Order: sequence, then C-alpha cells, then structure tokens
Amino acid sequence: MSITRRDFLKYCSISAAALGLTASDLLHMEQALANPTAPTILWLQGASCTGCSESFLNRFSTTAPTTAADTLINSVNLAYHPNLMSIAGQGAVDVINAAYTQGNYILAVEGGVPTAFGGAACWAYTDNGVDVTFKDAVTRLAGKAAKILAIGTCASFGGIPASGANPAGIQSVKTATGKATINIAGCATHPDWIVWTIVQLLTGKAIPLDSNGRPTGLFSGTVHSRCPRRDLDDGSYGHVGCLESIGCRGPATTAMCPVSQWNNGVNWCIGANVPCLGCTEPTFPGTNAFYRPGSG
Amino acid sequence: MATITTIDPVTRLEGHLKIEVKVDTVNGVQQVVDAWATGTLFRGFEKILEGRAPEDAEHITQRICGVCPVAHGLSAVLALENAYKLTIPNNALVMRNLVNAANFIQSHILHFYHLAAPDFINGPAMPPWQPSWNIDRRLDANTTATLVNHYVQAIDMTRQAHQLGALFGGRMPAPPAYVAGGFACDVTAARIAAAKTLLATLTPFITNVYLPDVAALAGAYGPAGSGRDWSKIGRGYGNLLAYGVFDLNAAGTTKLLKRGRVVNGATTVATVNLAAIKEQVTNSWYQDSTNGLGPAAGQTVPQYPKANAYSWLKAPRLARLPYEAGALARMWVNGDYRQGISVLDRHAARAAETLKIATAARTWLDQLVVGGPVWNSYSPPAAATGVGLTEAPRGAIGHWVATSGGKISRYQIITPTCWNASPRDTVGKRGPIEQALIGTPVTDINQPTEVVRVIHSFDPCLSCAVHVMHAEEGAKIFRLGHYHTADEAAAGHDHDHDEHGHSHDEAHDHVH
Repeated sequence: MSITRRDFLKYCSISAAALGLTASDLLHMEQALANPTAPTILWLQGASCTGCSESFLNRFSTTAPTTAADTLINSVNLAYHPNLMSIAGQGAVDVINAAYTQGNYILAVEGGVPTAFGGAACWAYTDNGVDVTFKDAVTRLAGKAAKILAIGTCASFGGIPASGANPAGIQSVKTATGKATINIAGCATHPDWIVWTIVQLLTGKAIPLDSNGRPTGLFSGTVHSRCPRRDLDDGSYGHVGCLESIGCRGPATTAMCPVSQWNNGVNWCIGANVPCLGCTEPTFPGTNAFYRPGSG
Repeated sequence: MATITTIDPVTRLEGHLKIEVKVDTVNGVQQVVDAWATGTLFRGFEKILEGRAPEDAEHITQRICGVCPVAHGLSAVLALENAYKLTIPNNALVMRNLVNAANFIQSHILHFYHLAAPDFINGPAMPPWQPSWNIDRRLDANTTATLVNHYVQAIDMTRQAHQLGALFGGRMPAPPAYVAGGFACDVTAARIAAAKTLLATLTPFITNVYLPDVAALAGAYGPAGSGRDWSKIGRGYGNLLAYGVFDLNAAGTTKLLKRGRVVNGATTVATVNLAAIKEQVTNSWYQDSTNGLGPAAGQTVPQYPKANAYSWLKAPRLARLPYEAGALARMWVNGDYRQGISVLDRHAARAAETLKIATAARTWLDQLVVGGPVWNSYSPPAAATGVGLTEAPRGAIGHWVATSGGKISRYQIITPTCWNASPRDTVGKRGPIEQALIGTPVTDINQPTEVVRVIHSFDPCLSCAVHVMHAEEGAKIFRLGHYHTADEAAAGHDHDHDEHGHSHDEAHDHVH
C-alpha cells in the first residue's frame, strides 16, 4: 500500500489554494496528522440514500494521485463507515463503543433521523443483544462528540424524506439530538464542501455558521449571483440560457455550485440546462414543482 | 443444536437490511438452515410523491438511492412518457443510455472492489480493511496486495465513471438531466470528446484489471480451489427476472440487454407478464388489506407493530414465484452468461456485463448529433397512468404512476432489492436471498464470513443489519464474540421470537 499521511499532505499542498489553506494551516495540519490521537470520525447513515458518501468518494479520487480518498480515510481515522469498513456485526459496534468511551470524536451523520413508530422506522445496529434505533444511536453519540457534521440536506434539515406527509417522522440531526451541528447541505452534498469543513476542524479553525447552521465559508451568496448564465436570454431544456423562467431556484438558493461545479468541474445542474432545484436550502424540496414551464 | 447468529450491522452494502440466520450441523457440516431478511428503514417515498407535480418524480425518486439514482430517474421519466404517450429525440435516447452506462460501470466496479472483495482478503492493518474477520483466506500475499492496490485504483475509476455521467447528466450522483420528453443537456463536440477520453481509461481497466481479478478469485474459490467450491454455493431458487435496459430504438423494442425471465435455471426464456406481478405484505409492516395488489393499484399503508411481520419490504412475486434480479439475471436472459448460478457466477456475470456496456457506450457516442434536438415539448393530460421499467445495476426496477388534476395521485415502486431481499410471502415462501443462504457453510459462527459473501453477491441496495433478536429455548445465542444462554439473552431483549411469528421448530428444508 502506497497510501501515507505524507501523500495526504501532498494532496493538501496541491489543493491548498482551492481549499483556502495557508502555509501555516498546512503546518498545523501536519502536526495534527502526526498525532495518533487525531480525531476519530464516526460516519453514521440514517434516513439516507448513501448519495453523500458516493459524492464524498468522488472528490478524493479526483485530485491528487489515485490514493487521495484512502489517504483521507486513513489520515483522519475514519473508524466507522457502514459502506466501507470490513468488519461487521458486534466487531463494528465495538469500534463505535470504543470511540464513545474515549470521546472527542467527530460525528458525521448522513441522512435524517426517523422518529415514527418509536424510532422503529430505522434501526442502527444491535449492541450486545440490544437493538438500537438510529435515533437512540445518534442521540447517545452526539453527547460526547467534539463536533457534529450533518452531511447533506437530509441530516441538516430533513430533506426529501421529511417532505410532504413525512411518513417516517424524520427530523434533522440538530432537532433530534438537541445539539449544534455544522450543516454541510446539498442533495447530494459536494465533496469539496466536506473536505473543506474537515480541514477547518483539523487545523483548529473556527467555522462561522449562517442562520441555517451552514459554514459561511461555503454558503454565502446565491447561485444566481454568481451564475455565468444570469445575463443570457431565456434558456430551457436543450437550450443554453437563463433558466429563471422555467423555475430555476438559483436566486433563492445559497450555494457555490457556479464556482465549485461538479465531478471534477465538468458540469453542474444549470450547465445541463436544468433549473437549480434549491437542494442546499432548509425548504428543499418544498411543495412547488421543480419545473415550471415559461409563459412564452 | 441449532443456533441463531446475528450480524448487525452487515457492512459494505447499501441501505438498510437485517438478516437472521439459523445455523445447525447437518451431515457433519455446520451450515445455514434458515434465514429471515428484514428491511429496517422506512421512508415512505411513495406517500411523499402524492400531490406533487408528475415531473418532480424524476428528482425525488433519484434520492431513494445514491448508488443507483439513474435507474430511478429513468424509470420515472419512462413511466410519465408511457402515461402521456410521448416520444423522445434520438439524442435523448443516447444520452440516457450513456449516463446509465456510466452508473452501471461505477456501481459494478465499486461493488466488486469496495463492497465484495474484502470478504475474501485480509487487507493492510488500517481502516477500512481492519478490523476484519479472518476466515477462509486463500489468496497468496502477492495476489492480496494486488487486490488492495486495485481497490485504491478502483476508487479513481469509479470517480471517472461518475465524471462520464456528469458530462451529460449535469452531476453525479443524482443527475438532474432526465426529463419527460427527452433530456435537458445539449450535445456538444467537447462533451463527446471528453467522454471518449474517459472511456479510453475505463474500458482497459475493465478488461485488464477487473475481469482478471474476478478470474483470480474464481480460480482460488472455484472448483480448482483449495476449499469449498463457491460456484456451488448461494444458488437459491434459480428464478431470474430482467426487465431489460439500454433501449436501442425509440420504441424500446430492441435493447442491449433484453427483457425476459427464466424459472429454476432454465435456458428457455419466458415473457414477462406485468399483470402477474403482485406485492404480498403478510410478513411486512403494511396493512393486510393491501395484500396481493398489483403495483398499478398498489398501496403503501404502514402498520407497525404487526403480528407475523418482520420487514419494511413488501414481497413482490410474479405468478406467485420469487425472482432474483441483477446482472446475472440480465446476462442469463440475454444469453451472454449461463455458466451457473452461484456467488462466483454473480461476480463473473457482473464483470462481463460491465465490459459489454462500456464497449456499447463507445459506439453510442458516435450516434450523437451535435446541436441536434434533445427534448420534445408536450401538453400533459389531466389524468393518466403509466409504467416505466428498466434496470438498475443491481436489477429490475419499475415505477408505476397515476396522475389526476395534473398531480401525482398514486406512485408505486418495486426496486430490485425488493425482489432479492423480500421477506416470506403469504404462503411462507422465502425471498431469494433468504433462499440462497440455505445450505451456506459457516466455519465460525462468530465470524460468519460465508453468510455475508452470499448476501454481497446480490449487491443489495440496503445497508443496515443482520440481527438476531430472538432466543430459542435451549439454544445458545451467538452475538459475534458474545455467548449467552437463552435465558440471559431473553432477559436483555425487547423482542422475542414469537413476536415475529417465526417458528424455528419448523422442519428444515435444506437445499444443498
């Protein structure tokens, strides 16, 4: 295996400008990574679709050599991730329990927290014979977490599964646990935004949040304000142009998609002539239609 | 003495699943003698969709699954086009295929290297490879190191496959460009050129890395291997169902992988009669009044708790038979792969299918017309019904929609994992994964590696758990590293066995 912490630092150095890192930040990170007690990350999935994890993997393999994703996983000690870890069953739950005993871990939650049927709409795991609902698992682990990351819009605000009749009684992580969360919104969220937030934590930086709990370093300004199409004529499916007349939510959506773009910068929703869905907002998806044909 | 083991969570799969496995020694071999599969997450997407604009279903349903979002988006627009009687330009047909192909390539590579391969190797002393179970490892150090390095390389390949999809789809996962009447993205020469470059990396990886690695695994774990032959384990019913995918003409009458079904491993392919598909909920947490409905008239009315129920999944059956869906089903129905039905055959068929799709995708790029039409506008009727059938990487998927007053009045979805991980039906017939587990050898009940190999071979889109919640009188209860007597276990449990209506005293009907 060629993955080392040095590779990760190399990746961060290459990406320093994109990540907003200074030389001093890199030094601090080197110290943090050299420290075997660097924060453990526990990544749990509730009422999620795994889309944010999928997106997360895209980022790290995009940049530096092919080892970037694993580098981060190893360097920050991603001790628990249900899609990736080899061990299963009690051995996996023991990892969680060990981290809980030690405390001071980063709790990353993907997906909202179902509360219907006494929490039985979603079970997290069985711990020494006791079935644990996702709500109980997250609430317990939130109690000793150094920081709680809400990965994606479902964890941040409830998202699509909490919309309409909200049949599973889904709540945001903040509402369900009563603890403050750093909301890395997006459906799915962008890998760069996850990385940026983790790097801030590793370098000991404060993360100012907006009124919706989203880092202002990532969420400031609307999609429309930076949209390269804002001065173009009306567009539509198949036609490059401003999509406001067919329902684009860019003017009411705070996100840096016009800058970040997606999938190694090859495209984004508006780049494919699709109106912004507003997927980083607490109101997502709302009850109004995403697509509203223009009058002309 | 029969014992029940729990694996909760079962890691390295998508979504929320738990499975109970009963293990006993039969003819001197410790093996699985019964199994119960439980979907442990209820979100209620079908209820969430009611009252929304029909066009929204494409975006909403893609969030059912971040691993196979494209199949949901495609099913949704196909259902609406079926309801509204729409046609689409050829550019749209081709771009839909390309983005779906990208999702298949991404998902299949991810499945083999990141979800399934760790069942066979001991990786380096670091997460995510460790901690790990250590059972039946047959590969030598060099081969293991190769697989670990390919694990890392495969992350980059899945990233590039997603990039291929985003070129046309807008982004991955959850590409927004699938729209009823066509596709939103415009065709440019730059997109086509970029796609060719990505395929020129992905296809050689599939040919020179993925396929040889699957062959190496089959060499060590197949008939020539040094232990049990995994081409003889995990067969199940042998009933295979494919709706077909990658339409090659506008009418969808010609597909790269055709529609059909076979019963018990037959080589004769039968037609798929949609009217014969019924969803049974006797053992599911839904009201019995909704039992046995076809999806076009289906209802989703949760009821928890409910006597005899043990899953949030319904049990779809076609003419009362359970069917396995997935790459093996597609390749078997299409006549591309018929070597067998087993754990190893599922991996082999999936790898062969990946190459077939990537090869076809390269030819599709040549069919795109730069600047050509991609979408046909339409005026929706006030009320309509339609069905959209296609394939996710992990199997047959269908959406059934009804609209009224310009809104969705009914929406029903049957996912591939609903077929594969379904619970027992009204007559007590097991679901396909439950059945495939029967007879699986278990070397060490505290490290039931063999059980998760069978589960992973189906690539289930579920990610929670395999539990044991029940004490059986006189039996030891195993909880991976913890032994309890039945009394001790019962004292610490909210659940007991009767609550789920299981009878572990029933006669074992082994399948060997």
